[in-house]
Amino acid sequence: MAAASPTALERFLNGIIPENPVYRQLLGMCPVLAVTGAMKPALTMAAATAFVLICANLLISLIRGLLKPHLRILVFTMTIATFVTIADRFLAAYLYDMSKELGPYVPLIIANCLIISRCEICSSKQSVGVAFADGVGMSLGFALALASIATVREILGSGTWFGLTVLPSFWPTWGIMVLPPGAFLVLGLLLGLVEWIGHRRATST
Amino acid sequence: MMDPETQKNRNYLQQAWLVLLLGFLYGGALAGVHTSLAPRIAENRLQETLNVIPDLVPGAVIQQTEMLSIAGPGGQMERIYRTADAAGQHNGWVLVAAGQGFADRIEILVGLDPQFTTITGVYVLDQKETPGLGDDIRDAEFLDQFRGKSADIPLSVVKMSPSLPGEVQALTGATVSTWAVCDIVNQAIDQWRDPILDQQVSSASGTSSADEIP
Amino acid sequence: MDNVALLVQIFFGAALINNFVLHYFVGICPFLGVSRRIDMAFGMGCAVTFVISIAALLSWTFTYYILRPEAPLPAWFWRMAGGDPEVQIDLSVLSYIMYIFVIASSVQFVEMYVRRFFPPLYKSFGVFLPLITTNCAILFACLEIMKNLQDPTQLWGLPEALTLAVGGGVGFTLAIVLMAGIREELELCNIPKPLRGAGITLIVAGIMAMAFMGFTGVDQGIQNILNAMIE
Repeated sequence: MAAASPTALERFLNGIIPENPVYRQLLGMCPVLAVTGAMKPALTMAAATAFVLICANLLISLIRGLLKPHLRILVFTMTIATFVTIADRFLAAYLYDMSKELGPYVPLIIANCLIISRCEICSSKQSVGVAFADGVGMSLGFALALASIATVREILGSGTWFGLTVLPSFWPTWGIMVLPPGAFLVLGLLLGLVEWIGHRRATST
Repeated sequence: MMDPETQKNRNYLQQAWLVLLLGFLYGGALAGVHTSLAPRIAENRLQETLNVIPDLVPGAVIQQTEMLSIAGPGGQMERIYRTADAAGQHNGWVLVAAGQGFADRIEILVGLDPQFTTITGVYVLDQKETPGLGDDIRDAEFLDQFRGKSADIPLSVVKMSPSLPGEVQALTGATVSTWAVCDIVNQAIDQWRDPILDQQVSSASGTSSADEIP
Repeated sequence: MDNVALLVQIFFGAALINNFVLHYFVGICPFLGVSRRIDMAFGMGCAVTFVISIAALLSWTFTYYILRPEAPLPAWFWRMAGGDPEVQIDLSVLSYIMYIFVIASSVQFVEMYVRRFFPPLYKSFGVFLPLITTNCAILFACLEIMKNLQDPTQLWGLPEALTLAVGGGVGFTLAIVLMAGIREELELCNIPKPLRGAGITLIVAGIMAMAFMGFTGVDQGIQNILNAMIE
């Protein structure tokens, strides 16, 4: 633990690459694998997670002075579950198709360890501004990770990107990519790639 | 001096007041969200089925369609749709049916003419078949095969192009999924033919128990 | 007999065909984190199976009697309080909060109970219990049960709910123990450096998921055998 708490800008930038929730911290794996078969559900998922994360971060940061240490996890869970329910209902009301496609993975945001870990590490200790920057940064990092996996899987698996055809028709689509095994393989290889780039950067400087 | 009991209670309150307050706040927020969005969500669910009805029964109009609740063979109430054309003339039925597919449950809608003689259309509401193989059961090309098939002959699956009535050509690499769809259609027709034709006789004499959709 | 066939289908569906980890991707965190040694993996699997069953029991009870749209208890209270009997009370908006509390409290309860009455058992998997509060596999089981209590035409009973939970738990145990076995062997392999750790684990999981896809349709076969045995 560093002596000085990170500032808002540091928190924001950290979330995107250096402490990317998926590639660096391996948090929130369940939606990362489950909804990345195509770009649309992946980004809807990222937006829903961002909504919950930012709202929970703001609220926890506002009441951080009142939190009793042994009841804090209870308060975190309650807050997250409430915002997830709200997000779930909004999706069902305004984006019904997406809500049907994402199915149980919207409520499963409650069990996404990313959010509770941000509440614990950042917002229960720092001011509202920092917590907000942290929420936005982490959400962007999460969205970036989801989008990168979904891009690979959708282009190789269906030959499309956001539903638009990008590969010529003679290209055989790799059905395995939209199936569960494809999710594991792509994430495993991308993790290796990120690790490799990070390693090369570290040795070249 | 307070007695220890009161002090203990006060201590609990001091610890938990924030949780209780948040509980009330969240409860209020959820109640608000629920009351404002619930009608819209219910509407979405209903529309999903209603929107495909004109495809399933030629000439049917959504506004004229009624949802009926009829006791199924197990005694529980099940929904079916009674369709009508723009003039309000009854022109068909849409059944909701489900059954086990290759991977998971398949839920489909079956459109039929008023006398249960011809299948006018089939639509897949929900399925989780293998992408690239079994999930082609959603394709119009596959589903168009059902249009115009006789409802009296049980459907069966063949691998080559069909020669006899009641035969459906299997999807390549997904014979099980094809059979699943045919079985669900057959079962739905079997299950509903008698109850509906009986109902029709009684509703013709003016004792319909239909709930009309606003 | 139909009932047994449904139970068989639910069990094999949850354990093998739509394996919680390899098909629905729930419980990935412990799957990656606690799969280094077979004994630890087995302990984790047992803990999850145990908690998932208790959470399923509780959440089925709550959902059936209180949370689903046609639930009897709220309607009864409403009428006792003099409310209009025509109004339907729908508390399903509270279900997610309810489930997360059910899970958290059943984890607490199981931990206390096991520590008090079965010390040897506690030694073998007690340490994993606090970890699984945030295990999405358990929440997922609750949500699946909720989904099957939504449609009044095909309500799941308690046996179906429990079968799903036990099947899911068994499937999780199977996947994590298999993975631990493979990872023990991987220790001896020369893996490219960037892939060490999570990378290679995910790739192995992908190959396992492919293998598990081969189970698709097994439930139909078992049902056919069962039916043949009865006749």
